[in-house]
Amino acid sequence: MSNIKPKLQYDAVTVGDEAPVISHELKRMDLVRYSGASGDFNPMHTDEVAAKQAGLPSVFGHGMFSMGLLGRAVTDWAGVGNLKVYGVRFTKQTWPGETLSTKIVVTGKEETPEGKIIVAALQLLNQNGEVKLEGTSRVLAA
Amino acid sequence: MELKDYIGKPSGAGNIHLERGSVSRFARAVTDENPVYHNKNAAQDAGFDNCPLPPTWTFASEFLGVWPEDKPTDPTNGAGNPLMKIIGNLMKSGGLILHGEQEFRYHQVPQCGETLHWEGKITDIYTKESKGKTMTFIVMENEFTNSKGEPVITEIFNLIHRGA
Repeated sequence: MSNIKPKLQYDAVTVGDEAPVISHELKRMDLVRYSGASGDFNPMHTDEVAAKQAGLPSVFGHGMFSMGLLGRAVTDWAGVGNLKVYGVRFTKQTWPGETLSTKIVVTGKEETPEGKIIVAALQLLNQNGEVKLEGTSRVLAA
Repeated sequence: MELKDYIGKPSGAGNIHLERGSVSRFARAVTDENPVYHNKNAAQDAGFDNCPLPPTWTFASEFLGVWPEDKPTDPTNGAGNPLMKIIGNLMKSGGLILHGEQEFRYHQVPQCGETLHWEGKITDIYTKESKGKTMTFIVMENEFTNSKGEPVITEIFNLIHRGA
């Protein structure tokens, strides 16, 4: 049987705490790699010619790539296997050349029947502070 | 068929085989080099039995984990996912499909070597007016269970058609 230990100590976490930031410059190669690994070959992510013909400045990033990147920041912080809820709203498209950074801020602590839970507000922003994703996570703490 | 009539309709079902190759490639594609996704020894050192799934892996599971020789009964009786019909009808007058919201609820930690079963359904459809355009929201839910029938992951998401 699995024996996964929470990484966060409930008593050591305070509302307002921020998790370590991950920054990533989005490259066309990220779109290619995510398409291949996920099966999402929508031409708006993979075909620069088709994207321009559709009136876009270039291909744009998969929303689910952004969610994966932000999810990595949550699991790096709380430990893989401790995520209970992870939800986001996709607010803006991402574009190659943007630098995307994660922002994770603790908003609550709850003692529940399923364990000690840390609630956090999540954002993924570009270098100008434009919000690409916003959401919530609930993770288990010890 | 009115849009409302699609609420509650099944969108599909599948058996999802969790294999290390696809898990490792997917993790790397979202920039995640955490060794638990790539190396079984590292996964076991962290308390797992085998490499676990990255949080958003199941969203791609129909592409990553389905074997043609292992298909459950089709809940749509061969009609296919009604979402395709809904989107096809909406797109006849142009517009754009957007992924609006995506949520995962984790009941257990799925690990490579397991086979999950998923069933999906359309749980709501509604429209809103925004800046003179009609926005149609289609809310879907996918339930993933393990071989014992226990819930593993629930996905709740919406797609939005923004009218031309």
